[in-house]
Amino acid sequence: MQLQQYAINKDNFEQCIKCTICTVYCPVAAANPDYPGPKQAGPDGERLRLKKANFYDEALKYCINCKRCEVACPSNVRIGDIIQTARIKYSKKKPALRDFILSHTDLVGTLATPFAPLVNTFLDIKPVKKALDRTLKIDHRRSFPGYSSQTFESWYKKQAAEQLQYKTQVSYFHGCYTNYNYPQLGKDLVKVMNACGVGVHLLTKEKCCGVALISNGFLKQAKKQAEVNMHSIRKSVLEDNRPVIATSSSCIFTIRDEYPHLLDIKNSDVRDQVELATRYLYRLFREKGNNLQYNDKKLKVAYHTPCHMEKLGWSYYSMELLRMIPGIELKILSSQCCGIAGTYGFKKENYTTSQEIGSSLFETIEKDDFDYVVTDCETCKWQIEMSTSRKCEHPVSILAKVLK
Amino acid sequence: MKFDTIIIGGGLAGLVCGIKLSQQGQRCVIISSGQSALHFLSGSFDLLNSLPDGTAVENPLTAVKELIPLEPDHPYAKLGEERFKERVKEAERFFSEIGIPLKGNSDKNHYRITPIGTLKRTWLTLSEFITCGNEHTLPWKEIAIFNPVGFLDFYPSFVADELRKTGIQSGIHEFSLPELDNLRRNPSELRSTHIARILDKENNLHSLGEILKEKSGKAEIIILPACLGLSSPEVIKTLEKIVGKPVYLIPTIPPSIAGIRVQQYLKDYFQQLGGIFMMGDSVLKADIKDNLVKKVYSYNHGDIPFESNHVVLATGSYFSRGLIATREEILEPIFNLQVSYLKERKDWYTENIFEPQGYQQFGVATTSEFQGISNGKTIRNLFVAGAILEGFNPIKEGSGGGVSILSALDIADKILKNEWVCNCNNTL
Amino acid sequence: MQNPEYSKTFDVIIIGGGATGAGIARDCSRRGLKAILLERKDIATGATGRNHGLLHSGARYAVTDKESAEECITENKILKNIASHCIEKTDGLFVTLPEDDLSYQARFVKACNEAEIETEIIDPEEAILLEPSVHPDITGAVRVPDGSIDPFRLTVSNILDATEHGAVILTYHEVTGLIQEQARVTGVKVYDHQTKENHSIYGSVIVNAGGIWGQHISTFAGITINMLPAKGALLIFGHRVNNMVLNRCRKPADADILVPGDTISLIGTTSSNIPYDQIDNMMVTPQEVDVLIREGEKLVPSLAYTRILRAYAGVRPLVAADNDPTGRNVSRGIVLLDHAERDGLEGYITITGGKLMTYRLMAEWATDLICKKLNINAVCTTAGEKLPGSRASAEEINEKIISIPATQRQSAIYRHGDRAGKLAENTQTENSLVCECEEVSVGEVKYALKELNVKKLVDLRRRTRVGMGTCQGELCACRASGLMGSSGIYCTKRAKEDLSAFLNERWKGIYPVAWGDTLRECEYTSWVYESVCGLKPNQD
Repeated sequence: MQLQQYAINKDNFEQCIKCTICTVYCPVAAANPDYPGPKQAGPDGERLRLKKANFYDEALKYCINCKRCEVACPSNVRIGDIIQTARIKYSKKKPALRDFILSHTDLVGTLATPFAPLVNTFLDIKPVKKALDRTLKIDHRRSFPGYSSQTFESWYKKQAAEQLQYKTQVSYFHGCYTNYNYPQLGKDLVKVMNACGVGVHLLTKEKCCGVALISNGFLKQAKKQAEVNMHSIRKSVLEDNRPVIATSSSCIFTIRDEYPHLLDIKNSDVRDQVELATRYLYRLFREKGNNLQYNDKKLKVAYHTPCHMEKLGWSYYSMELLRMIPGIELKILSSQCCGIAGTYGFKKENYTTSQEIGSSLFETIEKDDFDYVVTDCETCKWQIEMSTSRKCEHPVSILAKVLK
Repeated sequence: MKFDTIIIGGGLAGLVCGIKLSQQGQRCVIISSGQSALHFLSGSFDLLNSLPDGTAVENPLTAVKELIPLEPDHPYAKLGEERFKERVKEAERFFSEIGIPLKGNSDKNHYRITPIGTLKRTWLTLSEFITCGNEHTLPWKEIAIFNPVGFLDFYPSFVADELRKTGIQSGIHEFSLPELDNLRRNPSELRSTHIARILDKENNLHSLGEILKEKSGKAEIIILPACLGLSSPEVIKTLEKIVGKPVYLIPTIPPSIAGIRVQQYLKDYFQQLGGIFMMGDSVLKADIKDNLVKKVYSYNHGDIPFESNHVVLATGSYFSRGLIATREEILEPIFNLQVSYLKERKDWYTENIFEPQGYQQFGVATTSEFQGISNGKTIRNLFVAGAILEGFNPIKEGSGGGVSILSALDIADKILKNEWVCNCNNTL
Repeated sequence: MQNPEYSKTFDVIIIGGGATGAGIARDCSRRGLKAILLERKDIATGATGRNHGLLHSGARYAVTDKESAEECITENKILKNIASHCIEKTDGLFVTLPEDDLSYQARFVKACNEAEIETEIIDPEEAILLEPSVHPDITGAVRVPDGSIDPFRLTVSNILDATEHGAVILTYHEVTGLIQEQARVTGVKVYDHQTKENHSIYGSVIVNAGGIWGQHISTFAGITINMLPAKGALLIFGHRVNNMVLNRCRKPADADILVPGDTISLIGTTSSNIPYDQIDNMMVTPQEVDVLIREGEKLVPSLAYTRILRAYAGVRPLVAADNDPTGRNVSRGIVLLDHAERDGLEGYITITGGKLMTYRLMAEWATDLICKKLNINAVCTTAGEKLPGSRASAEEINEKIISIPATQRQSAIYRHGDRAGKLAENTQTENSLVCECEEVSVGEVKYALKELNVKKLVDLRRRTRVGMGTCQGELCACRASGLMGSSGIYCTKRAKEDLSAFLNERWKGIYPVAWGDTLRECEYTSWVYESVCGLKPNQD
């Protein structure tokens, strides 16, 4: 018997019984009094908006879509979805040029890659930052992730043939970050998967998952890209019999949950075959045993659970993979939002809130002498690396470091 | 994912059970569909305040003798008088050993003060909350009650008027701080927890201390609504040092600072013992073979099941959807366990909300060993704990906390004594 | 302290604080009469507050009762002008379901046209686009100028206008006797439930506007009026399911109207005759609930899984005219009795029958008769003069109170119309929400306590919607009673008693539908009030 069967219906907001628990766990309401909080913005507001659209409050834009309210809710109310849907449906504010630039990650990435060193230096110059702050309202205190001069995709082209030798095959949804900013993560993934006897492919066509487009209100574009991705994913899963794995928790969360919930794009036929690389590896080790050869490197790391990972409930897999490393000392940081929330923290109006949200996390990280902070989310990585003195890595990259 | 014990439900019962099992070296997972009802804790745990006929209980340990023959399906009746006493004493030790200091004991109920000033019997109270041993006399003559400006979830004049009956004079004061003024920009979020995040900061606590010192005058003690001390009860001690007077809390309308802190503390404690806590996940179904639960499947983990020797069902009552009421029936949604309830909907309620309601008494039927029953058969490794149990009325009896804690401890004991096979070698 | 009003002599004493009584108080005071209104409970507690809140176009009566239909459409147009802030011009659809006879539609449209009610036959597909909640298999639809009207707001506005023209309003004053001198009623005996004292009040004309309770009042003068109490049960759904009023296009029957009202939708009604001695004891039975859901689902399928907040029942104040046992085919026409003519008793008149829609017309008729009796020549202005609250556009008011956060600003305007302007000076603390479901702020509560004659929490609920949202008082009732306590309305002991009474009043409407999430909410409410707060019904 399924609990959900009695719990989720079309008017999911009605399951809210006003217990106020979500308000305790909202990182934004705790830092920014202009945000009405998840209960008011979500189920309470939704009921009023159904009465009349003019009950929509533009302050809903402060929601960072971390979904921590949903994780905390004892009533299975999809509070975050309700808020995002309301923004999409009712907001009259047109997204600004700044939001366009921040959210069209693959377009901007494509433009930046050929000039990567130039762009990186340029974006790091103080007057440039000031100018961006003034003209585009991108906060000048924010450091930009660097662009790589070679994309992951172009690096991969040379490896493609070699990957076919493996008996088991997966498709890798690398995401914009791995492609444009940090191809090393993709290289690490190929290394680890190969060590497990798994060959790595790319999807026939991969577009940005759309997480930033959704949060900045570019729904049409997000839908278009989602359809391209779903087409490729279906081909990989249903025709080529290759499950799809990803390293970014936000990409995977978007494809699995935001596509059907917010974009109304169905994925139930392949959803179970789209997962994080860490979950794939966990399952593989559970079924076939873990035959990885570890080196004797000693590492002291802290694991940070990204918000979307908390929502997925999958940090367990990443932690278990880390625990299997013989020379590791692992500390699990208590799960909290780091404050960046994708493009949110880049915006001038959110910078203070963003840093305030993450402040206690940064303090905890600074207190100890970790070699790395480990996390599954690229934007958490930017935020932690910008706000602390520690280097941040993906669990797969850590695995790559400790392989013989 | 293999564990020794899977606990479904991360509230008071689930956490107490998980901690006791983990203390004994078991590898446990708690799967919790959202945060628990601990978020509404008054600051106290009740054991037994009234018998079903409404008779007030002074001494729960002796009163339970009268309760057992009256309510044969009551969780306390299933424990029996002797084991009830044993578990009560164990519970008192349990909290103090894991570092949650509590006032009170089971030989005599004490009194706590409610947000509307009423004195209410209880068993154990968190140390920073105000209590007294006697309903009619309190040990003070003059006290000062402070409330943050605009905080609507606490009622100083209600408290003052009630205390006046016992001969206490109360001064009522309001206070604010610049950071609270900032929070007040938000029309809905001047809640206990948001205030606490501000007041718990060292500089603000000092400013508050200075205000209390100055305004409290001759008052012997200071009373505040529970809107500070979210991070630690040490906050109150620091404040006492600054003011130089005892500072006590009174609970507020939810969210409850006390409850959230206890929840967080128990969860952290469980995790430090190696327990896995999965928040925001719901168990959807289970494989049952030979009257044993073999695997359970959850929403988040899909085709990767949880496997264990024992399963504890501590999913709570209606609020947490351990029990589901439809227009036709009351059911337990995960295992479809036998639920004892009255079939006619009209028998679920009475016209007066302050009378005992039928629905409050309904719950999952179990064996005397708290095992669940499905299709007439006992599921031998499935134990049922806490608010979901049949045969008691937590609200009218004032027994909710006691039933959760005692049933959890008792079940943990059964599980530990009944170690069939341990699959702990493979930690996956 | 003796209320100074008791010693005065009035031109008119109005018994009953429903829409009709309030309308008479307004009309009389606007015509310069010195009027006092006595109500045993709070305003709008009888049939006024216990119906659909439907602004009839008259279409529902067109086939069976042309006179009522014509009255309705006339008043419909008047109310849309004078009480705009109490009304939503939603329009209504009369839809034909597969099980209904489509040929009724032609008869219906013809009858509407005869009563001068605008109709438009529309294609079922277009109707579904207009109102997506309606059953997808409808075979016909007719659009009519139905709407929704908030009876509490309407009554409050009438009372406000009356007060501002000098009328005296005393709630919780129950008339316990009629004072007679020879063949004339000269005053009333009244019991003040608040102070528990008895008083006599004298006046030239006494108007019985007690609705169904009027039968009882008349017995004080030895006069018999036979009322036929017909109980109608309704269900309140948790949110707005539909945005147009939905009716079945057939002969009126059970559960065939779904009205969007403020934040919720209402389905009703059932109809059953009840003994007169049961009119203060309305309970909705499980059978009635099941009928309402079963029939409601046929009209709007999503009602099957929509959360139900409450069930309640009202009594139709029908004057016994014929012996129809269902009470439905009775003409609900207005009955104005001059007891001087009817029973040889001067100074006493009864106005009854009618319906919420015709309250103003009833008040006009009654006031005309009063004026005639007092030899006063004054013209009725209630059809043309706008009620307090309806005297400015929503946009104008919005500008005036723009500093209030968006959602609560819209809610306040919706509830109080131009009177929401009184919240312009709200401080930040006053912008704090008491009721989070319905966005009632501290400032709004303070305004209601100061200007809208609030004695108890239930009164505050009728003025502001505190406790009428999803949580039914779970978070807000305590906050509101705290505010009432600290504003000096009553002492803390009374505040707690009032809080208990309020929760019980809520519970009576909840328990007939308490399953699913509604029951979860109930359990939580009990934890908060009984376990955490230790609230008891009696504070001794």
